[in-house]
Amino acid sequence: MPNEIWVLAEQREGKVRKVTFELLSASAEFSEKTGFQVGAIVLGSGLQEAVKSLSPFADKIYLMDDPALASYTSDTYLINMAPFIKEHRPSVLLGGATSTGKDLFPRLAMHLQTGYAPDCTGLNIEENGNLIAKRPLYGGKVFAEMIFSEARPQMATVRNNTFLVNQNLNKSAQVIAISSHTDPPSLKKKIVGLEKAAGTKLDITEAEVVVAAGRGIKAPENFKILEELADALNASVGTTRAIVDEGWRDQKDQIGKSGKNISAKLYMAFGISGAIHHVLGIGTCKTVVAVDTDPNALIFNYADYGIVGDLFQIIPALTEELKKALKE
Amino acid sequence: MLVKQVPDPEAIVKVKSDSELEIENKYFTNFFDEIAIEAGLKLKEKFGGKVTVLTVDNKKVDALRRGIAMGADDAIQITDPALEGSDQFAIAKALAAYLKDKPFDLILAGRQAMDDDAGIVGPAVAELLGIPHVNTIIGLEVDDPKKEVKVLREVEGGKEILSCSLPALFTCQKGLNNPRIPQVMNVMKAMKTQIKKVDLAALGLNAADAGSQAAKIKVQKYLSSPKRPPVKMIKEDFPENVKSLVKLLKEEAKVI
Repeated sequence: MPNEIWVLAEQREGKVRKVTFELLSASAEFSEKTGFQVGAIVLGSGLQEAVKSLSPFADKIYLMDDPALASYTSDTYLINMAPFIKEHRPSVLLGGATSTGKDLFPRLAMHLQTGYAPDCTGLNIEENGNLIAKRPLYGGKVFAEMIFSEARPQMATVRNNTFLVNQNLNKSAQVIAISSHTDPPSLKKKIVGLEKAAGTKLDITEAEVVVAAGRGIKAPENFKILEELADALNASVGTTRAIVDEGWRDQKDQIGKSGKNISAKLYMAFGISGAIHHVLGIGTCKTVVAVDTDPNALIFNYADYGIVGDLFQIIPALTEELKKALKE
Repeated sequence: MLVKQVPDPEAIVKVKSDSELEIENKYFTNFFDEIAIEAGLKLKEKFGGKVTVLTVDNKKVDALRRGIAMGADDAIQITDPALEGSDQFAIAKALAAYLKDKPFDLILAGRQAMDDDAGIVGPAVAELLGIPHVNTIIGLEVDDPKKEVKVLREVEGGKEILSCSLPALFTCQKGLNNPRIPQVMNVMKAMKTQIKKVDLAALGLNAADAGSQAAKIKVQKYLSSPKRPPVKMIKEDFPENVKSLVKLLKEEAKVI
Protein backbone atom coordinates (compact mmCIF):
# COMPACT_ATOMS: atom_id res chain seq x y z
CA MET A 1 0.00 0.00 0.00
CA PRO A 2 1.35 3.46 -0.84
CA ASN A 3 1.73 5.16 2.49
CA GLU A 4 4.48 7.73 2.25
CA ILE A 5 4.69 11.38 1.28
CA TRP A 6 7.85 12.16 -0.63
CA VAL A 7 9.46 15.51 -1.28
CA LEU A 8 12.10 15.93 -3.97
CA ALA A 9 14.80 17.80 -2.05
CA GLU A 10 16.47 20.34 -4.29
CA GLN A 11 20.01 21.25 -3.50
CA ARG A 12 22.81 23.11 -5.19
CA GLU A 13 26.36 22.48 -4.02
CA GLY A 14 25.01 20.76 -0.92
CA LYS A 15 22.79 23.64 0.14
CA VAL A 16 19.14 22.61 0.26
CA ARG A 17 16.63 25.11 -1.13
CA LYS A 18 14.17 26.76 1.21
CA VAL A 19 11.18 25.50 -0.76
CA THR A 20 12.20 21.94 0.18
CA PHE A 21 11.95 22.76 3.89
CA GLU A 22 8.62 24.46 3.25
CA LEU A 23 7.28 21.31 1.59
CA LEU A 24 8.68 19.02 4.29
CA SER A 25 7.02 21.21 6.93
CA ALA A 26 3.66 20.97 5.15
CA SER A 27 4.18 17.22 4.71
CA ALA A 28 4.74 16.85 8.44
CA GLU A 29 1.23 18.25 8.97
CA PHE A 30 -0.18 15.89 6.33
CA SER A 31 1.64 13.08 8.11
CA GLU A 32 -0.25 13.78 11.34
CA LYS A 33 -3.53 13.64 9.48
CA THR A 34 -2.86 10.47 7.48
CA GLY A 35 -0.27 8.56 9.49
CA PHE A 36 1.94 8.54 6.37
CA GLN A 37 5.68 8.87 6.84
CA VAL A 38 7.57 11.73 5.22
CA GLY A 39 10.49 10.93 2.94
CA ALA A 40 12.94 13.34 1.36
CA ILE A 41 14.48 12.09 -1.86
CA VAL A 42 17.76 13.76 -2.68
CA LEU A 43 20.02 13.34 -5.70
CA GLY A 44 23.44 14.87 -6.17
CA SER A 45 27.10 14.53 -5.43
CA GLY A 46 28.69 15.03 -2.00
CA LEU A 47 25.50 15.29 -0.01
CA GLN A 48 26.63 15.06 3.64
CA GLU A 49 25.69 18.68 4.36
CA ALA A 50 22.34 18.28 2.62
CA VAL A 51 21.53 15.14 4.61
CA LYS A 52 22.43 16.89 7.85
CA SER A 53 20.15 19.84 7.14
CA LEU A 54 17.26 17.62 5.96
CA SER A 55 17.39 15.17 8.85
CA PRO A 56 15.27 17.17 11.36
CA PHE A 57 12.52 17.62 8.74
CA ALA A 58 11.90 14.06 7.49
CA ASP A 59 11.31 10.52 8.74
CA LYS A 60 13.40 9.04 5.94
CA ILE A 61 15.98 10.32 3.51
CA TYR A 62 16.37 8.43 0.24
CA LEU A 63 19.84 9.28 -0.90
CA MET A 64 21.41 8.97 -4.34
CA ASP A 65 24.93 10.30 -4.01
CA ASP A 66 26.81 9.96 -7.29
CA PRO A 67 29.19 12.29 -9.20
CA ALA A 68 27.08 11.66 -12.33
CA LEU A 69 24.19 13.40 -10.53
CA ALA A 70 26.17 16.53 -9.64
CA SER A 71 23.97 18.77 -11.79
CA TYR A 72 20.35 18.33 -12.74
CA THR A 73 19.19 17.13 -16.11
CA SER A 74 15.78 15.55 -16.62
CA ASP A 75 17.46 12.49 -18.22
CA THR A 76 19.60 11.56 -15.23
CA TYR A 77 16.93 12.33 -12.67
CA LEU A 78 14.25 10.41 -14.55
CA ILE A 79 16.40 7.32 -15.10
CA ASN A 80 17.22 7.19 -11.40
CA MET A 81 13.94 8.24 -9.82
CA ALA A 82 11.36 6.46 -11.97
CA PRO A 83 12.22 2.81 -11.15
CA PHE A 84 12.55 3.67 -7.47
CA ILE A 85 9.17 5.42 -7.40
CA LYS A 86 7.54 2.52 -9.26
CA GLU A 87 8.91 0.10 -6.72
CA HIS A 88 7.77 2.05 -3.64
CA ARG A 89 4.68 3.84 -5.01
CA PRO A 90 4.54 6.68 -2.50
CA SER A 91 1.10 8.22 -2.16
CA VAL A 92 2.32 11.77 -2.80
CA LEU A 93 5.38 13.25 -4.51
CA LEU A 94 5.99 16.99 -4.10
CA GLY A 95 8.56 19.37 -5.51
CA GLY A 96 9.16 23.10 -5.78
CA ALA A 97 7.73 24.95 -8.78
CA THR A 98 11.31 25.78 -9.68
CA SER A 99 13.28 25.51 -12.91
CA THR A 100 14.04 21.90 -11.91
CA GLY A 101 10.55 20.96 -10.70
CA LYS A 102 8.78 22.42 -13.72
CA ASP A 103 11.21 20.66 -16.08
CA LEU A 104 11.18 17.24 -14.41
CA PHE A 105 7.71 16.68 -12.95
CA PRO A 106 5.60 16.77 -16.13
CA ARG A 107 7.91 14.30 -17.84
CA LEU A 108 8.13 12.06 -14.79
CA ALA A 109 4.32 12.08 -14.38
CA MET A 110 3.86 11.09 -18.02
CA HIS A 111 6.41 8.33 -17.57
CA LEU A 112 4.68 7.03 -14.42
CA GLN A 113 1.20 7.47 -15.95
CA THR A 114 0.07 9.44 -12.96
CA GLY A 115 -1.52 12.83 -12.24
CA TYR A 116 0.42 16.05 -11.76
CA ALA A 117 -0.75 19.49 -10.59
CA PRO A 118 1.79 22.18 -11.53
CA ASP A 119 2.65 25.48 -9.83
CA CYS A 120 0.29 25.07 -6.86
CA THR A 121 -0.38 27.79 -4.29
CA GLY A 122 -1.96 25.50 -1.71
CA LEU A 123 -2.23 21.83 -0.80
CA ASN A 124 -4.45 19.82 1.47
CA ILE A 125 -4.80 16.14 2.20
CA GLU A 126 -7.75 14.06 3.35
CA GLU A 127 -7.40 11.40 6.03
CA ASN A 128 -7.53 8.69 3.37
CA GLY A 129 -4.50 10.25 1.67
CA ASN A 130 -6.28 11.95 -1.23
CA LEU A 131 -4.44 15.13 -2.15
CA ILE A 132 -6.27 18.34 -3.05
CA ALA A 133 -4.09 20.80 -4.95
CA LYS A 134 -5.04 24.45 -5.35
CA ARG A 135 -3.61 26.17 -8.39
CA PRO A 136 -4.09 29.40 -10.32
CA LEU A 137 -5.51 29.31 -13.85
CA TYR A 138 -5.59 32.05 -16.50
CA GLY A 139 -2.64 33.75 -14.83
CA GLY A 140 -4.41 33.84 -11.46
CA LYS A 141 -7.74 35.31 -12.57
CA VAL A 142 -9.35 32.19 -11.07
CA PHE A 143 -8.16 29.22 -9.03
CA ALA A 144 -9.06 25.54 -9.12
CA GLU A 145 -9.01 22.77 -6.56
CA MET A 146 -7.64 19.75 -8.38
CA ILE A 147 -8.17 16.11 -7.41
CA PHE A 148 -6.31 13.04 -8.63
CA SER A 149 -7.37 9.72 -10.14
CA GLU A 150 -6.48 6.42 -8.42
CA ALA A 151 -2.97 6.49 -9.93
CA ARG A 152 -0.12 7.02 -7.49
CA PRO A 153 1.91 9.00 -6.65
CA GLN A 154 -0.19 12.16 -6.68
CA MET A 155 2.36 14.67 -7.95
CA ALA A 156 2.46 18.44 -7.48
CA THR A 157 4.91 21.30 -7.71
CA VAL A 158 4.36 24.17 -5.30
CA ARG A 159 5.42 27.81 -5.50
CA ASN A 160 8.15 29.15 -3.25
CA ASN A 161 6.90 30.80 -0.04
CA THR A 162 3.54 28.97 -0.06
CA PHE A 163 4.18 27.25 3.29
CA LEU A 164 6.09 28.36 6.38
CA VAL A 165 9.15 26.43 7.48
CA ASN A 166 8.57 24.71 10.83
CA GLN A 167 11.90 24.74 12.67
CA ASN A 168 10.50 22.64 15.54
CA LEU A 169 9.89 19.30 13.86
CA ASN A 170 12.97 17.80 15.54
CA LYS A 171 12.84 14.59 13.55
CA SER A 172 15.88 12.47 12.99
CA ALA A 173 15.64 10.85 9.59
CA GLN A 174 16.66 7.33 8.78
CA VAL A 175 19.06 7.60 5.83
CA ILE A 176 18.59 5.01 3.09
CA ALA A 177 21.24 4.97 0.38
CA ILE A 178 19.95 4.05 -3.07
CA SER A 179 22.29 2.86 -5.77
CA SER A 180 22.14 5.06 -8.84
CA HIS A 181 22.43 3.85 -12.40
CA THR A 182 23.52 6.48 -14.82
CA ASP A 183 25.21 5.48 -18.02
CA PRO A 184 26.77 8.74 -19.30
CA PRO A 185 27.20 7.71 -22.97
CA SER A 186 23.48 6.98 -23.25
CA LEU A 187 22.53 10.52 -22.28
CA LYS A 188 21.19 12.68 -25.04
CA LYS A 189 21.91 15.98 -23.41
CA LYS A 190 24.38 17.40 -20.97
CA ILE A 191 25.13 20.65 -19.25
CA VAL A 192 28.20 22.19 -20.82
CA GLY A 193 28.28 25.45 -18.93
CA LEU A 194 26.68 27.65 -16.35
CA GLU A 195 26.62 31.44 -16.49
CA LYS A 196 26.17 32.57 -12.93
CA ALA A 197 24.07 35.67 -12.43
CA ALA A 198 25.97 38.63 -11.04
CA GLY A 199 25.55 39.23 -7.31
CA THR A 200 24.22 36.97 -4.63
CA LYS A 201 20.55 37.91 -4.71
CA LEU A 202 17.93 35.18 -4.64
CA ASP A 203 15.73 34.70 -7.67
CA ILE A 204 12.57 36.84 -7.39
CA THR A 205 10.49 33.65 -7.12
CA GLU A 206 12.46 32.55 -4.05
CA ALA A 207 12.95 35.86 -2.21
CA GLU A 208 10.72 36.65 0.77
CA VAL A 209 10.88 40.35 -0.02
CA VAL A 210 10.82 41.77 -3.55
CA VAL A 211 11.04 45.45 -4.50
CA ALA A 212 10.32 46.52 -8.06
CA ALA A 213 10.17 49.58 -10.26
CA GLY A 214 8.42 50.30 -13.54
CA ARG A 215 8.48 53.17 -16.01
CA GLY A 216 8.41 55.67 -13.13
CA ILE A 217 12.10 54.96 -12.56
CA LYS A 218 12.82 56.88 -15.82
CA ALA A 219 16.34 55.57 -16.54
CA PRO A 220 18.22 52.29 -16.06
CA GLU A 221 20.88 53.87 -13.84
CA ASN A 222 18.18 54.96 -11.40
CA PHE A 223 17.71 51.35 -10.31
CA LYS A 224 20.68 52.06 -8.05
CA ILE A 225 18.41 53.57 -5.37
CA LEU A 226 16.18 50.51 -5.56
CA GLU A 227 19.20 48.19 -5.21
CA GLU A 228 20.11 50.07 -2.05
CA LEU A 229 16.62 49.59 -0.66
CA ALA A 230 16.85 45.90 -1.59
CA ASP A 231 20.17 45.59 0.25
CA ALA A 232 18.66 47.08 3.40
CA LEU A 233 15.77 44.59 3.30
CA ASN A 234 17.72 41.59 2.00
CA ALA A 235 15.29 41.74 -0.92
CA SER A 236 15.53 40.93 -4.61
CA VAL A 237 14.79 43.45 -7.35
CA GLY A 238 12.00 42.85 -9.85
CA THR A 239 10.56 44.88 -12.68
CA THR A 240 7.85 45.13 -15.34
CA ARG A 241 7.59 43.95 -18.90
CA ALA A 242 8.05 47.50 -20.28
CA ILE A 243 11.41 47.85 -18.54
CA VAL A 244 12.64 44.45 -19.75
CA ASP A 245 11.52 45.23 -23.29
CA GLU A 246 13.52 48.48 -23.09
CA GLY A 247 16.53 46.32 -22.26
CA TRP A 248 17.06 48.05 -18.90
CA ARG A 249 16.81 44.87 -16.81
CA ASP A 250 17.20 41.16 -17.43
CA GLN A 251 14.26 38.98 -18.47
CA LYS A 252 14.74 36.87 -15.34
CA ASP A 253 13.57 39.79 -13.18
CA GLN A 254 10.26 40.35 -14.99
CA ILE A 255 7.15 39.94 -12.83
CA GLY A 256 3.83 39.15 -14.52
CA LYS A 257 2.09 37.00 -17.05
CA SER A 258 4.92 36.71 -19.56
CA GLY A 259 7.49 36.77 -16.75
CA LYS A 260 7.33 35.20 -13.31
CA ASN A 261 4.71 34.82 -10.62
CA ILE A 262 5.96 35.66 -7.17
CA SER A 263 4.57 34.81 -3.72
CA ALA A 264 6.70 37.14 -1.62
CA LYS A 265 5.88 37.95 1.99
CA LEU A 266 6.37 41.63 1.14
CA TYR A 267 6.22 43.18 -2.33
CA MET A 268 6.83 46.87 -2.95
CA ALA A 269 6.03 48.46 -6.32
CA PHE A 270 7.46 51.86 -7.24
CA GLY A 271 6.35 53.78 -10.31
CA ILE A 272 4.36 50.80 -11.60
CA SER A 273 0.97 51.69 -13.05
CA GLY A 274 -0.51 48.23 -12.48
CA ALA A 275 -1.27 46.77 -15.91
CA ILE A 276 -3.14 43.48 -15.68
CA HIS A 277 -0.06 41.64 -17.05
CA HIS A 278 1.89 42.78 -14.02
CA VAL A 279 -0.63 42.46 -11.18
CA LEU A 280 -1.47 38.87 -12.15
CA GLY A 281 2.09 38.00 -11.15
CA ILE A 282 1.74 39.34 -7.59
CA GLY A 283 -1.70 37.94 -6.67
CA THR A 284 -0.31 35.52 -4.09
CA CYS A 285 2.05 37.99 -2.36
CA LYS A 286 1.11 38.48 1.29
CA THR A 287 1.56 42.23 1.70
CA VAL A 288 1.76 44.65 -1.22
CA VAL A 289 2.94 48.25 -1.02
CA ALA A 290 2.48 50.63 -3.96
CA VAL A 291 4.06 54.04 -4.51
CA ASP A 292 3.13 56.08 -7.57
CA THR A 293 2.68 59.74 -8.50
CA ASP A 294 -0.72 59.06 -10.09
CA PRO A 295 -3.46 58.78 -7.45
CA ASN A 296 -5.61 56.86 -9.97
CA ALA A 297 -2.96 54.27 -10.83
CA LEU A 298 -4.51 50.80 -11.04
CA ILE A 299 -1.76 49.35 -8.88
CA PHE A 300 -3.48 50.81 -5.80
CA ASN A 301 -6.43 48.43 -6.40
CA TYR A 302 -4.06 45.53 -5.83
CA ALA A 303 -2.13 46.91 -2.85
CA ASP A 304 -2.51 46.79 0.94
CA TYR A 305 -0.72 50.09 1.54
CA GLY A 306 -0.41 52.97 -0.89
CA ILE A 307 1.45 56.26 -1.03
CA VAL A 308 0.89 58.87 -3.72
CA GLY A 309 4.33 60.33 -4.11
CA ASP A 310 7.61 60.62 -5.94
CA LEU A 311 9.69 57.46 -5.83
CA PHE A 312 12.94 59.47 -6.07
CA GLN A 313 12.02 61.09 -2.76
CA ILE A 314 10.41 58.06 -1.11
CA ILE A 315 12.87 55.25 -1.88
CA PRO A 316 15.99 56.80 -0.27
CA ALA A 317 14.00 57.93 2.78
CA LEU A 318 12.42 54.48 3.09
CA THR A 319 15.86 52.84 2.90
CA GLU A 320 17.11 54.97 5.80
CA GLU A 321 13.94 54.47 7.84
CA LEU A 322 14.02 50.69 7.33
CA LYS A 323 17.68 50.48 8.29
CA LYS A 324 16.78 52.20 11.56
CA ALA A 325 13.73 50.00 12.15
CA LEU A 326 15.59 46.77 11.42
CA LYS A 327 18.36 47.69 13.84
CA GLU A 328 15.88 48.05 16.72
CA MET B 1 5.50 23.74 -33.51
CA LEU B 2 2.84 22.90 -30.96
CA VAL B 3 0.45 25.83 -30.67
CA LYS B 4 -2.77 26.80 -28.92
CA GLN B 5 -5.37 29.53 -29.03
CA VAL B 6 -5.94 30.92 -25.51
CA PRO B 7 -7.87 33.80 -23.90
CA ASP B 8 -6.17 37.15 -24.33
CA PRO B 9 -4.50 38.42 -21.11
CA GLU B 10 -7.12 41.20 -21.01
CA ALA B 11 -10.05 38.77 -21.31
CA ILE B 12 -12.34 38.56 -18.29
CA VAL B 13 -12.43 35.11 -16.69
CA LYS B 14 -14.91 34.50 -13.88
CA VAL B 15 -16.19 31.57 -11.88
CA LYS B 16 -19.75 30.79 -12.98
CA SER B 17 -20.25 27.78 -10.73
CA ASP B 18 -18.12 25.15 -8.97
CA SER B 19 -17.67 23.36 -12.25
CA GLU B 20 -17.86 26.12 -14.84
CA LEU B 21 -16.00 29.26 -15.85
CA GLU B 22 -17.23 32.22 -17.82
CA ILE B 23 -14.59 33.28 -20.33
CA GLU B 24 -14.86 36.43 -22.40
CA ASN B 25 -14.69 35.67 -26.11
CA LYS B 26 -11.34 37.35 -26.70
CA TYR B 27 -8.72 34.91 -27.88
CA PHE B 28 -5.20 35.17 -29.24
CA THR B 29 -2.36 32.85 -30.13
CA ASN B 30 -0.57 31.84 -26.96
CA PHE B 31 2.24 34.36 -26.54
CA PHE B 32 4.94 31.75 -25.86
CA ASP B 33 3.80 29.69 -28.89
CA GLU B 34 4.46 32.68 -31.16
CA ILE B 35 8.01 32.68 -29.84
CA ALA B 36 8.25 28.98 -30.74
CA ILE B 37 6.91 29.65 -34.26
CA GLU B 38 9.40 32.48 -34.72
CA ALA B 39 12.27 30.25 -33.60
CA GLY B 40 11.20 27.58 -36.10
CA LEU B 41 10.92 30.08 -38.95
CA LYS B 42 14.39 31.46 -38.20
CA LEU B 43 15.85 27.94 -38.43
CA LYS B 44 14.01 27.33 -41.70
CA GLU B 45 15.45 30.55 -43.15
CA LYS B 46 18.94 29.42 -42.20
CA PHE B 47 18.89 25.70 -42.92
CA GLY B 48 15.84 25.11 -45.11
CA GLY B 49 13.29 22.48 -44.19
CA LYS B 50 9.64 22.78 -43.40
CA VAL B 51 7.69 24.28 -40.52
CA THR B 52 4.42 22.65 -39.49
CA VAL B 53 2.08 24.05 -36.85
CA LEU B 54 0.00 21.59 -34.88
CA THR B 55 -2.87 22.08 -32.45
CA VAL B 56 -5.33 19.93 -30.51
CA ASP B 57 -8.62 21.80 -30.44
CA ASN B 58 -12.13 21.02 -31.56
CA LYS B 59 -13.09 24.60 -32.32
CA LYS B 60 -10.34 27.18 -32.36
CA VAL B 61 -7.80 27.11 -35.20
CA ASP B 62 -6.74 30.77 -35.29
CA ALA B 63 -3.36 29.86 -33.74
CA LEU B 64 -2.75 27.67 -36.81
CA ARG B 65 -3.75 30.51 -39.13
CA ARG B 66 -1.40 32.81 -37.25
CA GLY B 67 1.39 30.29 -37.77
CA ILE B 68 0.68 30.12 -41.52
CA ALA B 69 0.51 33.93 -41.72
CA MET B 70 3.89 34.14 -40.02
CA GLY B 71 5.37 31.72 -42.58
CA ALA B 72 4.66 28.11 -41.56
CA ASP B 73 4.20 25.64 -44.43
CA ASP B 74 1.53 23.35 -43.02
CA ALA B 75 -1.18 23.37 -40.40
CA ILE B 76 -2.65 20.32 -38.70
CA GLN B 77 -5.66 20.27 -36.39
CA ILE B 78 -6.18 17.21 -34.22
CA THR B 79 -9.89 17.22 -33.51
CA ASP B 80 -12.32 14.66 -32.13
CA PRO B 81 -15.45 14.93 -29.97
CA ALA B 82 -13.85 12.38 -27.61
CA LEU B 83 -11.09 14.91 -26.78
CA GLU B 84 -13.56 17.12 -24.88
CA GLY B 85 -12.57 17.25 -21.19
CA SER B 86 -9.10 15.78 -21.79
CA ASP B 87 -6.26 16.54 -19.40
CA GLN B 88 -2.83 17.60 -20.61
CA PHE B 89 -1.58 14.00 -20.67
CA ALA B 90 -4.27 12.93 -23.14
CA ILE B 91 -3.48 15.98 -25.31
CA ALA B 92 0.19 14.95 -25.23
CA LYS B 93 -0.76 11.40 -26.26
CA ALA B 94 -2.68 12.69 -29.28
CA LEU B 95 0.22 14.94 -30.33
CA ALA B 96 2.80 12.20 -29.85
CA ALA B 97 0.65 9.73 -31.80
CA TYR B 98 0.60 12.16 -34.72
CA LEU B 99 4.32 12.97 -34.50
CA LYS B 100 5.77 9.51 -33.92
CA ASP B 101 6.21 8.54 -37.57
CA LYS B 102 6.89 12.05 -38.94
CA PRO B 103 10.43 13.00 -40.01
CA PHE B 104 11.00 15.89 -37.61
CA ASP B 105 14.32 17.24 -36.31
CA LEU B 106 12.98 19.60 -33.74
CA ILE B 107 9.70 20.17 -31.91
CA LEU B 108 9.15 23.58 -30.36
CA ALA B 109 6.35 24.63 -28.02
CA GLY B 110 5.62 27.55 -25.75
CA ARG B 111 6.75 27.55 -22.12
CA GLN B 112 3.13 27.14 -21.10
CA ALA B 113 -0.33 27.96 -22.41
CA MET B 114 -1.75 31.09 -20.86
CA ASP B 115 -5.01 29.36 -19.91
CA ASP B 116 -4.23 26.32 -17.76
CA ASP B 117 -0.67 27.65 -17.20
CA ALA B 118 0.46 24.05 -16.77
CA GLY B 119 3.55 23.54 -18.94
CA ILE B 120 2.90 19.80 -19.10
CA VAL B 121 2.24 19.02 -22.75
CA GLY B 122 5.73 19.81 -24.11
CA PRO B 123 7.79 17.61 -21.76
CA ALA B 124 5.09 14.90 -21.83
CA VAL B 125 5.24 14.71 -25.65
CA ALA B 126 9.04 14.40 -25.44
CA GLU B 127 8.67 11.55 -22.94
CA LEU B 128 6.21 9.70 -25.18
CA LEU B 129 8.48 10.12 -28.20
CA GLY B 130 11.59 9.14 -26.21
CA ILE B 131 13.48 12.30 -27.19
CA PRO B 132 15.25 14.79 -24.89
CA HIS B 133 13.56 18.03 -23.88
CA VAL B 134 14.70 21.28 -22.34
CA ASN B 135 12.23 23.70 -20.80
CA THR B 136 12.08 27.50 -21.02
CA ILE B 137 14.94 28.12 -23.41
CA ILE B 138 16.15 31.67 -24.06
CA GLY B 139 18.87 30.79 -26.57
CA LEU B 140 19.08 28.28 -29.43
CA GLU B 141 22.01 27.50 -31.71
CA VAL B 142 21.85 24.61 -34.17
CA ASP B 143 24.89 22.82 -35.55
CA ASP B 144 23.13 21.28 -38.53
CA PRO B 145 25.83 18.88 -39.84
CA LYS B 146 26.35 17.44 -36.37
CA LYS B 147 22.64 17.26 -35.58
CA GLU B 148 23.42 18.92 -32.30
CA VAL B 149 21.96 21.93 -30.57
CA LYS B 150 23.17 24.28 -27.88
CA VAL B 151 20.43 25.81 -25.78
CA LEU B 152 20.47 28.39 -23.05
CA ARG B 153 18.02 27.93 -20.21
CA GLU B 154 17.26 30.22 -17.31
CA VAL B 155 17.63 28.70 -13.85
CA GLU B 156 17.60 30.26 -10.38
CA GLY B 157 20.83 32.17 -9.99
CA GLY B 158 22.06 31.90 -13.55
CA LYS B 159 21.77 30.43 -17.02
CA GLU B 160 22.57 26.85 -18.00
CA ILE B 161 24.11 26.05 -21.35
CA LEU B 162 23.14 22.55 -22.52
CA SER B 163 24.18 20.57 -25.53
CA CYS B 164 21.54 18.24 -26.86
CA SER B 165 21.30 15.74 -29.68
CA LEU B 166 18.50 15.96 -32.27
CA PRO B 167 15.68 15.19 -32.53
CA ALA B 168 14.62 17.07 -29.41
CA LEU B 169 11.80 19.15 -27.97
CA PHE B 170 12.26 22.59 -26.44
CA THR B 171 9.75 24.88 -24.77
CA CYS B 172 10.33 28.56 -25.50
CA GLN B 173 10.49 31.45 -23.06
CA LYS B 174 10.23 35.20 -23.58
CA GLY B 175 13.69 36.52 -24.41
CA LEU B 176 14.40 33.91 -27.11
CA ASN B 177 13.25 36.24 -29.90
CA ASN B 178 10.65 38.82 -30.89
CA PRO B 179 7.93 37.14 -32.95
CA ARG B 180 7.35 38.77 -36.34
CA ILE B 181 4.09 40.52 -37.16
CA PRO B 182 2.68 38.86 -40.28
CA GLN B 183 2.04 40.99 -43.36
CA VAL B 184 -1.58 41.67 -44.26
CA MET B 185 -1.20 39.73 -47.52
CA ASN B 186 -0.07 36.67 -45.61
CA VAL B 187 -2.90 37.02 -43.11
CA MET B 188 -5.37 37.00 -46.02
CA LYS B 189 -3.68 33.95 -47.51
CA ALA B 190 -3.74 32.17 -44.16
CA MET B 191 -7.50 32.69 -43.91
CA LYS B 192 -7.91 30.57 -47.03
CA THR B 193 -5.29 27.93 -46.24
CA GLN B 194 -6.64 24.43 -45.98
CA ILE B 195 -6.14 23.04 -42.48
CA LYS B 196 -5.68 19.29 -42.35
CA LYS B 197 -7.92 17.63 -39.80
CA VAL B 198 -6.93 14.44 -38.02
CA ASP B 199 -9.14 12.48 -35.63
CA LEU B 200 -8.23 9.97 -32.91
CA ALA B 201 -9.01 6.93 -35.07
CA ALA B 202 -6.54 8.16 -37.71
CA LEU B 203 -3.94 8.33 -34.93
CA GLY B 204 -4.66 4.80 -33.76
CA LEU B 205 -6.13 6.04 -30.48
CA ASN B 206 -9.39 5.06 -28.82
CA ALA B 207 -11.94 7.41 -27.40
CA ALA B 208 -11.13 5.83 -24.02
CA ASP B 209 -7.57 7.28 -24.25
CA ALA B 210 -9.00 10.80 -24.08
CA GLY B 211 -11.73 12.82 -22.44
CA SER B 212 -12.56 13.20 -18.78
CA GLN B 213 -12.79 9.46 -18.01
CA ALA B 214 -9.09 9.10 -18.91
CA ALA B 215 -8.04 12.18 -16.93
CA LYS B 216 -5.42 11.64 -14.24
CA ILE B 217 -6.31 14.94 -12.66
CA LYS B 218 -9.47 17.02 -12.68
CA VAL B 219 -11.04 20.15 -11.31
CA GLN B 220 -13.09 19.50 -8.19
CA LYS B 221 -14.06 23.11 -7.78
CA TYR B 222 -13.31 26.50 -9.33
CA LEU B 223 -12.60 29.34 -6.92
CA SER B 224 -12.58 33.10 -7.42
CA SER B 225 -9.21 34.67 -6.83
CA PRO B 226 -8.95 35.94 -3.25
CA LYS B 227 -9.64 39.67 -2.97
CA ARG B 228 -7.23 41.88 -1.12
CA PRO B 229 -8.89 44.14 1.50
CA PRO B 230 -9.28 47.76 0.32
CA VAL B 231 -5.99 49.62 0.09
CA LYS B 232 -4.95 51.77 3.02
CA MET B 233 -3.69 55.05 1.55
CA ILE B 234 -1.13 56.84 3.69
CA LYS B 235 -2.05 60.46 3.23
CA GLU B 236 0.48 62.29 5.39
CA ASP B 237 3.10 64.55 3.81
CA PHE B 238 6.66 63.47 3.18
CA PRO B 239 8.58 62.30 5.22
CA GLU B 240 5.88 61.36 7.77
CA ASN B 241 4.28 59.04 5.20
CA VAL B 242 7.50 57.00 4.98
CA LYS B 243 7.71 56.71 8.78
CA SER B 244 4.07 55.59 8.94
CA LEU B 245 4.60 52.99 6.24
CA VAL B 246 7.53 51.43 8.09
CA LYS B 247 5.48 51.39 11.29
CA LEU B 248 2.54 49.67 9.55
CA LEU B 249 4.80 47.07 7.93
CA LYS B 250 6.34 46.34 11.28
CA GLU B 251 3.37 46.46 13.62
CA GLU B 252 0.29 45.76 11.51
CA ALA B 253 1.43 43.59 8.58
CA LYS B 254 4.32 42.15 10.62
CA VAL B 255 6.38 41.50 7.50
CA ILE B 256 9.65 43.16 8.52
